[in-house]
Amino acid sequence: MALSARLLTLRNSPVLLKLPPYLSALCIVIGIAWLFILPLNEYSRQTYVSENAILPGQVHTYFGGSEHNVFRAYRQEVYQISQVSETDRLAALENVLREIGLKVAAQPYRFTVAGEDVEGANVYGLLRGPRADATEAMVLMAAWRNFEGEINYSGLALALTLARYFKRWSIWSKDIILLIPADSTYGPEAWVSAYHSTAPDITATRNVSSLPIKAGALQAAVALDYPVGPWGHRFDKLDILYDGINGALPNLDLLNTAVAVASGQMGIGCSIHSMLSHSDSYRDRLTTLAKGVVTQSAGQATGPHSAFVPYHVDAITLKTVGDAWHDEMSLGRTTESLFRSINNLLEHLHQSFFFYILLNANRFASIGNYLPAAMLLAGSFTVTALALWVQSGQVAVQSATKIGGTETRDVQPELEVAKIGDAVALVPAATTKPAEREMLLPAAVVLAVHLASFLPLYSLNSLHRQYLPTALQATTATSLLLPALTSTALTRRFKISKQQIQIMQSFSLLLLGTSLARLATLNFSLAFVVGVLASPLSFVRPLPGPTAALPTVLGKVGREYRYGLQVTIGLAATVLYTATSPPVVLYALCWYFSQDVGGLLLEMAKGWSVQGVYTSFVIWAVWWPAWVVGGIALFSGGGQR
Amino acid sequence: MKLAQLLALPATLISAVLAIPEYSEHLHLRPLPNGYLYAGFNFTASTSLSAYESQHFRYFPRSLGQILKHSGTRELHLRFALGRWDDESWGSRPRDGKREGGTGVEIWAWLDSGGGKPAVEERWSSLVNSLSGLFCASLNFIDGTKTTRPVLSFEPEGMHRGGGGGMELLHGTLPHEVVCTENLTPFLKLLPCKGKAGISSLLDGHKVFDANWQTMSIDVRPVCHVGEECRLEIQQTVDIVLDIERSMRPRNDPIPRPRPVEELECDESKSYHASDTCYPRRKEGEMAWSLSKIFGTPVRGSCHVADGDESHDISLEVSRDRAVEVLQGGSNETLVSHGQSQHVRAIRLSDTAKHTDISLPQQIIQEAPHQEQPPLYASRQITGFGQERGGMHTVLHNPHTYPQRIVYLESLPWFLRPYMHTLKVLSHPTTSHNQPATPVKPDKMFYTPALDRERGTHLELLLTIPAQSTVELTYDFDKAILRYTEYPPDANRGFDVAPAIIRVLPPNSNSTAGNEKTQDSYLRTTSLLLPLPTPDFSMPYNVIILTSTVIALGFGSIFNLLVRRFVLAEEVPRSAVAVRVAWVVGKVRGVVGGLKGRMRVGGEGGGGGGTVVGFGGAADVRGGMNGGSGGAEGRKER
Repeated sequence: MALSARLLTLRNSPVLLKLPPYLSALCIVIGIAWLFILPLNEYSRQTYVSENAILPGQVHTYFGGSEHNVFRAYRQEVYQISQVSETDRLAALENVLREIGLKVAAQPYRFTVAGEDVEGANVYGLLRGPRADATEAMVLMAAWRNFEGEINYSGLALALTLARYFKRWSIWSKDIILLIPADSTYGPEAWVSAYHSTAPDITATRNVSSLPIKAGALQAAVALDYPVGPWGHRFDKLDILYDGINGALPNLDLLNTAVAVASGQMGIGCSIHSMLSHSDSYRDRLTTLAKGVVTQSAGQATGPHSAFVPYHVDAITLKTVGDAWHDEMSLGRTTESLFRSINNLLEHLHQSFFFYILLNANRFASIGNYLPAAMLLAGSFTVTALALWVQSGQVAVQSATKIGGTETRDVQPELEVAKIGDAVALVPAATTKPAEREMLLPAAVVLAVHLASFLPLYSLNSLHRQYLPTALQATTATSLLLPALTSTALTRRFKISKQQIQIMQSFSLLLLGTSLARLATLNFSLAFVVGVLASPLSFVRPLPGPTAALPTVLGKVGREYRYGLQVTIGLAATVLYTATSPPVVLYALCWYFSQDVGGLLLEMAKGWSVQGVYTSFVIWAVWWPAWVVGGIALFSGGGQR
Repeated sequence: MKLAQLLALPATLISAVLAIPEYSEHLHLRPLPNGYLYAGFNFTASTSLSAYESQHFRYFPRSLGQILKHSGTRELHLRFALGRWDDESWGSRPRDGKREGGTGVEIWAWLDSGGGKPAVEERWSSLVNSLSGLFCASLNFIDGTKTTRPVLSFEPEGMHRGGGGGMELLHGTLPHEVVCTENLTPFLKLLPCKGKAGISSLLDGHKVFDANWQTMSIDVRPVCHVGEECRLEIQQTVDIVLDIERSMRPRNDPIPRPRPVEELECDESKSYHASDTCYPRRKEGEMAWSLSKIFGTPVRGSCHVADGDESHDISLEVSRDRAVEVLQGGSNETLVSHGQSQHVRAIRLSDTAKHTDISLPQQIIQEAPHQEQPPLYASRQITGFGQERGGMHTVLHNPHTYPQRIVYLESLPWFLRPYMHTLKVLSHPTTSHNQPATPVKPDKMFYTPALDRERGTHLELLLTIPAQSTVELTYDFDKAILRYTEYPPDANRGFDVAPAIIRVLPPNSNSTAGNEKTQDSYLRTTSLLLPLPTPDFSMPYNVIILTSTVIALGFGSIFNLLVRRFVLAEEVPRSAVAVRVAWVVGKVRGVVGGLKGRMRVGGEGGGGGGTVVGFGGAADVRGGMNGGSGGAEGRKER
């Protein structure tokens, strides 16, 4: 009990009560600085293949020779197929797959996103592992159109050639599924969701038909993205795309295997986040890290592989970039070797990391190294929330409150006589006294703001695409006016007290802190980015009213220019507050990445309604309410008393 | 009616080999579409029951005979299987699926039921353990959790004394067992010629286990003929489907390298055809093959050991126009169609020739190969993802114009916990997609729920599949969490779930459709992989758990101290209930014991009234968190 007794005496210490803002600021500074030390050699690690069974690059690859002739023919064939209509295309693709000797099926799907119908059909073929027992399968994917919307001529032709080549081997311990989705987002999503369900329910936004042919549990998926026309084009590097929906990542072993096979066995350089020239310097590592954090925090699909990751199917996309001397056969051999490695797996990929930040194709920081950054940021809100809670429980004793500014700096503490039994002591008089907390109004306000957050969430994800920018403008205008209006209403109508404002802020920050801490374990980057953007909310205190006291440090100057100073502080706070508002940040992002606002909103709506991306939920239902409550506190003028 | 048919079944099987010699062997060859070859080996040996009782064995394997006798086994069926039968392109299954097992090892046997359940289990255990040693398979892992007692799915094939009374059927599967050479060798050892002569000389592990589908079976049963002594018969079969192209690769270079450019067969009709661009041409016609190239060796000698064995050793089911050459000990002759059947050509191995080989050239045959449609198509999948719940989804498709009655048997491991109230059997016609699905009511249902770590689930349904329709059978299940010692070394692979066994019952004879079968047939789905919640058996996991616990403890107590308000015990207003309870307790005590002791109001009042109380007295907690350690002392620290 000694510790608790000591803590109990400590909790009345004035130092402890003044510490939280500094502690909070320290958390934020350390949290942000933490990310900057990750690229250093001491805080990141070289990647390594953890699963012994994979044996990357240990097999001799035979893909080559006359297969090149077949590849050229398939590429021409794909080009010819691209010239015909949609239905003819499906039939032609099915025909090619059937000639290769696969079991062929097609899956039509339809999604309704932002008032628009997206229709398409996936074609896929199943290569039964001759000696496999149908319990496991791996997916070789070549989307008809890649993520940028180009027709994936060479990627598809290569996948077809590989399927024909794989058919001759009897070594496969898993079935191989050759999947040709119509596009790179909806198609894979429709296919993988139907693969894991009996008869998918038809809803207003999705109508996905079930798959007539299935194999066993999917072990891994590899997508090829090589959108080069019928006459070919050589490439320089393989860009490995690995981000899944909501920042979920495939097992690091799959990525490592791809890198090990490509660079170690085939001599093809690998890049991450299209960092084509990576000198492995601090600066380049930091750029890669930043790109990774931005991509992960967006939570959107980055390629055809993304849809697989939420289903616990490790998936990557191999995308060819640059212009140098590697040809399609090198990519083919890489894929062959990669599939041989996956085929070696005895268990589902589980050995290596699922949470990592890549700094280079062969360097990473593991969760233990980077998680504290987001946790500290989330912690800063909790610290402030606790401090506000403690403060709200102690109301200043009337006599000690000095109205009209502090005139004397060296005030002697008032003393009083305390008697316990026979002992008599002179102790400093308490400047505060415990008070009952009135929590109904603050809780109601916080709850109401959170409920209100579903309005922007709904309208920005469900309206027709042409109204989306208007909806964001409306949301921006409402958001900016809402805090001031609400605080006026609260002070005028409900006579909200200073204590209630503190409790309200405390509730809101507590929610924000815990939400972000929990989110950090799922999607580190999103929690980190939202944490940084929301960090000023820890320091929001009511703006001083016209009669409020000025800090004594300002001294004489402060007294003379009181009005000017107050206006300046108020203006600065309001500008900073507005700048960190969710809608303004969205506009800023669009401006920075020079993207169309409508396009960004459409992407977000797509992600939300088709793939279950929860980024907009975090923005509107976690960050936005905290921001509004902060604003209410800011403009409340300190409340009554 | 049905029973009569089933009793007639062994008789019909036997009639094929009437006037049975004590040992005979047979190989059936049939090319399948898309360059595959089916080869079915059958070895039948028998011994009279009196000889068996006196342990006098000639062609019947002694090692097996002794095991059967020791364990009181009346009829035994043992299966080793690998791969899948592709019934969409290969048609119906050989031997009606009766000599076929699910992936892995499957065993069912009728045992003497004397001595009650424990005695039967003892015999079963003794049987599987002995067979485990004999066949180098993990059969000894078939324990209570993997054993079921099917009711409708199996009928005894043999003729048993007393009409099949006094015996009990037990069935066990090992879906994860990988069948390989070590199982084939003891299998061949049971044969009189031990794989050295006759058709069994073709059975080489390299080829058998490179097959796309292979199943080995051993069936022991008593057979009786009128006016003869009953005999105990053992049938050993090996059915394989080989990829002709793959099997013909030379043994010293089995790697399917890309062919030289000159050997590519290109489709020259393509507009882009050029010297460096080659669209592969579709293969046409029947491939050329020969026994020696496919099996790596010709048939060595013959194995005509038993008296009266006059039957043909090899039969070849090919089109009438196909040229077939037989190379027997240096003489080369053309094999012609045999007897009443136009499609089957038979050959008897010469006892003098050292080698016999059959070869067929490449040929384009106009006539489409005769193929029988399978009675039913079945597939079974696990749906859902994640580690908590899943669903089973079985699709049964009846392509015929008449309804079929089937028995659907599932034996599930105990850690898969099905919810039978979610069992749905829906049927929808294949011909029109727009019609809504109609529920199918099972005619009969046998269900034995699982007991954790003791027995698995046994589910048997008697269903009628309407004509030309698809029946979907679904149910949901939970995945159990195992104890950490119960996980196998490859815990993250998942756990194998045994295939479902489907018995298609023969249609009633009064229905008039033409080419109906009079015997039942079997088919099995593929086995499944069930991912269970698996703990992370690694160090970081333990570190995370430990750190989180420490942080939670530290945070909890410090937070509690910070936000709790402490007041003196005297200041706590006593709750009315507590006062009342204390009063009652005091009264009772006064009445009962007449104790003069001081009433401990605080303690009892707290316990009864629900006021939060610290160790040193009463400390009311107001507006604070009521969690963590509530043991702070009730002193006012001021």
